[in-house]
Amino acid sequence: MQTRTGDDATRAAAPRQKQGATGHESALRRQQMKYAILFIAPGLAVYLVFMVYPFLNTAYLSLTNWNGVAETKDFVGLANYTRMLGDGIAWKAFSNNVIWVILGTVAPVAVGLFEALLVWSGARGSLFFRTLFFLPFVLPLVVVGIVWQWIYNPLFGVINEVLDSVGLEGLSRGWLADPHTALYAVLIAAIWGASGFCFLILHASLQNVDMSTVEASMIDGANWFQRAWRIIIPQIAPQLTMVTTVTLIGGFSVFDIVFVMTGAGPGHASEVLSTYTYKTAFQQNEAGYGSALAMLITVLSLVSTVIFVRLRERQR
Amino acid sequence: MTNRLFGSFARYLALGFFVAIVAYPLLLIVSTSVKDPLDVTANPFTLFSSVSLQNFVDAWTLGGFGGYFWNTVLITTLTLVGTVVLSVLAGYALARLYLPGKNIIFLLFILGLMIPFFAMMIPLFYELKAMNLLGTHAAVILPALAGATGFGVPLGVFLMRAFYMDLPEELADAARVDGAGEFQVFWRIMLPLSGPGVAVLAVLVFFQTWNVFILPLLYLPGSENQMLATGLYLFASGRTAEIELAAAGSLIMVLPVVIFFLIFQRQFIRGLTAGAFK
Repeated sequence: MQTRTGDDATRAAAPRQKQGATGHESALRRQQMKYAILFIAPGLAVYLVFMVYPFLNTAYLSLTNWNGVAETKDFVGLANYTRMLGDGIAWKAFSNNVIWVILGTVAPVAVGLFEALLVWSGARGSLFFRTLFFLPFVLPLVVVGIVWQWIYNPLFGVINEVLDSVGLEGLSRGWLADPHTALYAVLIAAIWGASGFCFLILHASLQNVDMSTVEASMIDGANWFQRAWRIIIPQIAPQLTMVTTVTLIGGFSVFDIVFVMTGAGPGHASEVLSTYTYKTAFQQNEAGYGSALAMLITVLSLVSTVIFVRLRERQR
Repeated sequence: MTNRLFGSFARYLALGFFVAIVAYPLLLIVSTSVKDPLDVTANPFTLFSSVSLQNFVDAWTLGGFGGYFWNTVLITTLTLVGTVVLSVLAGYALARLYLPGKNIIFLLFILGLMIPFFAMMIPLFYELKAMNLLGTHAAVILPALAGATGFGVPLGVFLMRAFYMDLPEELADAARVDGAGEFQVFWRIMLPLSGPGVAVLAVLVFFQTWNVFILPLLYLPGSENQMLATGLYLFASGRTAEIELAAAGSLIMVLPVVIFFLIFQRQFIRGLTAGAFK
């Protein structure tokens, strides 16, 4: 350590030890405070300027009818919010988000769990499966969206080709162009991607399961479902909750994959709150109403976060 | 240790099913990216009916993916370095230094983790516009640092603070007894120990920033200075021909992340578990 032979500046800066405990402590505190402010300031500054201030602005804008270019922003109170309540598209988007939150949380977790249980033995090829099942999550959603567009292609896509080849031509359709299937088609692509994340976490957590309990239950004659449900799942409950929480919270902010695959179409069939906010603010130039929608997304995300954190804490 | 959760045959059947579902789209991308353009018109989605690497060259040059690639490298690197530096400094201060009210500051950062990007999206646009930053790299870097991707300074501060709080205080105390000033304690003792925490943060920030889509979509209008995800979208949307170039572009975008993941698997997993705990 070089402090013993350190230069004079270091000695001068070091708190004197001659004085009593209080004097020493307050000098130390003063020095620490100086550096604390210095260290925190840059990060805090960026955060305040580019996150906190815009957020406060959104709340403010949601109470105006600003169009993005006008010199003045007219205060309109809660008019944007009342408009939201009567806006059919907003309701459609909201219900799509609810569908997304439910299906888009349960399915990836279930698929990931199933894959993790299947691969669990740690026997041959485990590394191969581990890498393969995780890869969908590594892909950016843009890429997932594009390749699944090809899969759903009405003329050449593999889904319709398979349906045609087994004699189910009646089911063939433009999956992304049909208002009844569009949202679900996008959702399936998203589930395909998200299950990679769930798989990885749950696979890791399964390594910590006590095998003796599983073997004991096998001796007692439990079938695979009972073993999974009563013995294994309780042991991975924390990670299971974590994975569910993370996936669920993202459900109200989903944007990329919907935007890429259908542009929220056809019409508004696959509209979600985020795409509607984007269109309102940046294509229809209604910054005020768009901000109100953005506040809605925020509230929904926060509420679901709080609910789930409470549930997790109750578990412990 | 064989897992007898499922019967062997049923297990392999189920595994085969999942392997097919997971692998097919991946193979489709690779297959399309190496397919001869003429073949694409005839058999767009038949797997591996032809092999040619020309698509990658064309995507890089004609498709503009070379430019997107370097923009993404630049923006991701600057965001990564900036986030790490700012997070280490602030995280250390919040964990180890005396400052009245520092818990309130920490709480402020935590709030930022819970607010989705859409809550900032609209005013940020006009703010960047007023600063004349729209269309520049800074238009993505600065919001990303502030946490627009969910993986910026707020998360970094959270992770690094937790990391520094776990480090033993004895080393720092010993140095102080020897006469070291606070900066010395940080620079010579704590900073060299920061490796593991920084690694986890770096992996997370890299992964999210490399793939970011909506930030460039909003704040980098058009294709100038554009990044890979949004560039790919701009290239592919509305284009039914030249999908082999879109596929090649996709691989150009994906391969660095895959390679990165294969090398840094442990940090990746640790990062995802830690980052998901916000």
